[in-house]
Amino acid sequence: MIKVGIPRALLYYQYYPMWKTFFEGLGAEVVVSPPTTQAILSSGSSRVVADTCLPVKVFCGHVLALVGECDYIFIPAIRSVKSKICNCSKFLGLPDMTKAVIPESPPILDIDIDINKGKHELYQAIYKLGRRFTWNPFKVRQASIAAWQAHLKYKQLMSNHGLTPSQAIERISNTTEVEPKTPSGNPTPNQATIAVIGHPYLLYDAHINYRLIHRLEQAHYKVLTPEMLTTEELELAITRLIGGAYWTYEEEMVGAGGHYLESGTDGVIGIMAFGCGPDSLMMDIVHRWAARLRTTPFMSLTLEEHTAEAGVVTRLEAFLDMIHRKKRRRLKLCV
Amino acid sequence: MEAYLGIDVGSVTTKFAVLNGSDELVAHIYLLTQGKPIDMVQQGLKQIKQQLPKDVDICGVATTGSARYLAGVIVGADLVKNEITSHAVGALHYFPQGQTIIEIGGQDSKIIIIRDGIVADFGMNTVCAAGTGSFLDHQALRLNISIEEFSQRALDSTTPVRIAGRCTVFAESDMIHKQQMGHRTVDILYGLCQALVRNYLNNVGLGKDIQPPIIFQGGVAFNQGIVKALQEELGTEVIVPPHHEVMGAIGAALLVHEEIADSHNGSKFKGFGISEIKYHTSSFECKACPNQCEIAQLSVNGQVLARWGGRCDLWERSPTS
Repeated sequence: MIKVGIPRALLYYQYYPMWKTFFEGLGAEVVVSPPTTQAILSSGSSRVVADTCLPVKVFCGHVLALVGECDYIFIPAIRSVKSKICNCSKFLGLPDMTKAVIPESPPILDIDIDINKGKHELYQAIYKLGRRFTWNPFKVRQASIAAWQAHLKYKQLMSNHGLTPSQAIERISNTTEVEPKTPSGNPTPNQATIAVIGHPYLLYDAHINYRLIHRLEQAHYKVLTPEMLTTEELELAITRLIGGAYWTYEEEMVGAGGHYLESGTDGVIGIMAFGCGPDSLMMDIVHRWAARLRTTPFMSLTLEEHTAEAGVVTRLEAFLDMIHRKKRRRLKLCV
Repeated sequence: MEAYLGIDVGSVTTKFAVLNGSDELVAHIYLLTQGKPIDMVQQGLKQIKQQLPKDVDICGVATTGSARYLAGVIVGADLVKNEITSHAVGALHYFPQGQTIIEIGGQDSKIIIIRDGIVADFGMNTVCAAGTGSFLDHQALRLNISIEEFSQRALDSTTPVRIAGRCTVFAESDMIHKQQMGHRTVDILYGLCQALVRNYLNNVGLGKDIQPPIIFQGGVAFNQGIVKALQEELGTEVIVPPHHEVMGAIGAALLVHEEIADSHNGSKFKGFGISEIKYHTSSFECKACPNQCEIAQLSVNGQVLARWGGRCDLWERSPTS
């Protein structure tokens, strides 16, 4: 059986169930690289050119981890997922860049996803990718329909049931039925809620964010993330803040930030990668919005390969203290 | 006498403050850390004991600063608090009406925005040390003058020179250039003060709503040149409170007083006797997973007191195993 490798980095967190279903539908086996470790990060950053951002360094490390483990590596070039919306150049050139910096990588399966070019082009691209596995166009069609359904289910598990990507992936692969949103998923009256906004590849990679979500949960905070919001909620917030999105995945930052700043959460933490152009622009919009509203405390953390854990921990402790003391003062005033 | 001890172990200096039951400062000391935080905590305890009356009863101890966890294990701290909260609580104790706190220390600088007596926003410098005390220390060394002299002489400047303060490396080459051009040392000194202030306000203070009254504290607040440059740049008066250099330690002591009063527990303080104990630190590389974390450990007579430095809590959970 043909083995297709998928790096556990970048868009893995957005589309893994879709990709997995597609390749399995075509009779391939899917292999995923292990969670990020220091060894993966170091191996990746030793290959890339100097000005590459942290997430791409991590991505290259994951590709290296898959060398020898699979026959092909799947690296899509996602140009746009909505009409008239740009994506970062790092995503556009991802398959080519990987080929250049990791010559020993298994052959790369790439696909150009560009919604701007219309549906016909998209179907052609999918068919071209599927033809690497089968000559039967109906089999490709079936696999892509199943893949799209898996993707919708994945999104729904996260937005309607409050699951994290890893929990949702586990649920999909176990094919167990999910019970509707339980009351335990909602915060208890005195429990403070913290929203963490940013791209999923930063939020859910515990190695590069120094277990931020784990730390918050350990401190008994209810953690909210962009995936827990529906597309409508995100788009509404974007329209309110900037009229319309410019970047692909802008909803994870500006949409989620705008929504959580005005929905009564106790604090919002924005996570961005050092050296990321779009992030620096989007985070600034959220920052300005927070400064204008002055209702919800906001803090942004920049992650980098050399980020000291102490820096993240100190800021996080200070931020949580600020929220705690504020809340306690409010309670005292009420009494 | 009921007393609360706050210890602030920073990268450059170690500060101790003792407050009595009514939160008045009864003793404080300020030492250079010299890269030996354990020795300095022990020495500081010994020195501060001599300043205290015989009947002193330490009811609570808190540690803060970058070595807060290490110091906390050594003294048996009841509370380990980050330096931002400690500085804010300390400053608000003396100036409840303060709206902005500027704190510039040896290796980091912070801005704390206060509204209605509570922290509303804060910022900290990123990895670069160009806006901190070590920048001034370094340049003073280059000019071959002491940091005390720096403070006095900077005020004599009449026509300060403009020095790029974005980066210490560039500031240095800029400074050498100005020296070679024949500018007076005093003008260069004040130019450095302005560079630091500009860098601080453009970096740490970026996007922050800086409102008077402004409180300036931390070791760098000793430097008259910086105080003057800050006032010029902000166009308003900057208050340097008494004991500004130990404000973090005072804040920590206030916080532990509050904590002990809330919890009604006794203190875990190990006593002044610990200044005689021989502590031993070592480190090793964890082999449990590919992360290769460097684990540091603190031990006394071969018995491990604490371990930290891991990406996961494997070693922190079981210090004895």
